[in-house]
Amino acid sequence: MRATKPGVTEVETLDQAIRVVTEVCDRARHGDLEARVPRLGSPAPGEPDLATGLRAAVNGLLDQVDAFVRESGAASSAAAEGRFHRRFLAQGLNGIYRSAAQQITHSNQVMSRTAAQFAEAARERQALADELESAVLTVSEQVATAATEMGASANGLADFARDAVTDAERGMGTVASLRASSDQIRHAVDLINKVAAQTRLLALNATIEAARAGSAGSGFGVVANEVKSLANETSTSSEEIMSQVDAVQAAAADSIGVLEAVTNRIREMSDLVEGIAIAVDGGPHHAQDGGLSQLAEVLRAEVSRFVTTIRKS
Amino acid sequence: MKSTRVRPTGKERTFSDNELIVTKTDPRGVITYANDIFLRISALDEEDAVGQPHNLIRHPDMPRAVFKLLWDTLKEQQEIFAYVVNLASDGAHYWVFAHVTPSFDTGGRVIGYHSNRRVPSRPAVAAADELYGVLRAAERRHDRPQDAVVAGTAALDQVLAERGRTYDELVWDLAGGRG
Repeated sequence: MRATKPGVTEVETLDQAIRVVTEVCDRARHGDLEARVPRLGSPAPGEPDLATGLRAAVNGLLDQVDAFVRESGAASSAAAEGRFHRRFLAQGLNGIYRSAAQQITHSNQVMSRTAAQFAEAARERQALADELESAVLTVSEQVATAATEMGASANGLADFARDAVTDAERGMGTVASLRASSDQIRHAVDLINKVAAQTRLLALNATIEAARAGSAGSGFGVVANEVKSLANETSTSSEEIMSQVDAVQAAAADSIGVLEAVTNRIREMSDLVEGIAIAVDGGPHHAQDGGLSQLAEVLRAEVSRFVTTIRKS
Repeated sequence: MKSTRVRPTGKERTFSDNELIVTKTDPRGVITYANDIFLRISALDEEDAVGQPHNLIRHPDMPRAVFKLLWDTLKEQQEIFAYVVNLASDGAHYWVFAHVTPSFDTGGRVIGYHSNRRVPSRPAVAAADELYGVLRAAERRHDRPQDAVVAGTAALDQVLAERGRTYDELVWDLAGGRG
């Protein structure tokens, strides 16, 4: 009775045949396609052989369904695994079974093309990832080299600026001491002028006294006159010295202004250079405030991570 | 059941593109069901087929290595396709494109095997015949069956390696646009 049981069972009557077919069909209805209708009994002489036709029809139907189920399961799992060479065999199937099989074959071919396109896109993506990685590696190496050179230059420039500020400050000190010297000179000249003014007064008094003495004082008057002209010359020379001292002082004031301006500019430059050095080497206090070299390394690491992800996907 | 070994007559029999030769066997390869087309092409009565081992229709031209591969694949619970030449009881032969799959019960246990056979294209038959000639030549150099199987398998592997294809891919290459 059961298809798995070897041997052929004779079924005598059509009633029995119907019972057997019913059981086979019931098993098939519940998804058991292993059952087939066994050989049925021959009819009595003169009777039509209905049972044999019924058996062939039912078994043929089950064979078609069985083949279709096996093909659809195997072909779709093959397609899912990318084994597109394993097609859905429509051959041997008939009517709607065959057209459905052809439809599935067509779908598999479309999936196969799509899979091939995906594979191609993936290959291109891999190639792109390789190119990107290599390009970023080159750039980051160049940036790191440039950053090192820039850092060295910035440090040299900072040293130079500090030296320049020191020199300028020393210059200002020198000029300031020049001004102090000028003040002392002015003080000395004032004293000389006072002495000259008193000398002139003394000369005037001597001239007056010489005039009162008449001819007896005439010699004395000549001396007084000489003293007066000497005092006048002293006064004139003092004025010249004062104007020279004023000129020196004005020049010194200008020099200080210029030196201060230069110093301020150099200090500003120094700040800029320090900014460059921080940009290149990174801030001293902030670990995350990375310099150019560190940024290049971060970029390289990020791209490497990105590329690894892309390669995996 | 014919008790004597059938002699091949060299006469070839074919069947229609619409037809499906179906047999079912138990796990040992004993036939439990054979459809009417199988019986017709094999020139067998149902009593001669059901209950007999499937090698009942074995043709001497079939290399041992192909059946070895077939059973190894089925033991791994995988489907297998093969071009097979079978011997009818009247000595005629017929080529099939065989698809053998395990049948499972609801618990997933193998309860037997199911074979659907379709008519292969003539170019596929010509290629399979030539391939099997190569395998047979390798197998015939050995007296012991197990040595013959090893030699036939090695010859098959060599052919596949030269073509850079798996067995499965080669079979489907031969199937061409069919299906």
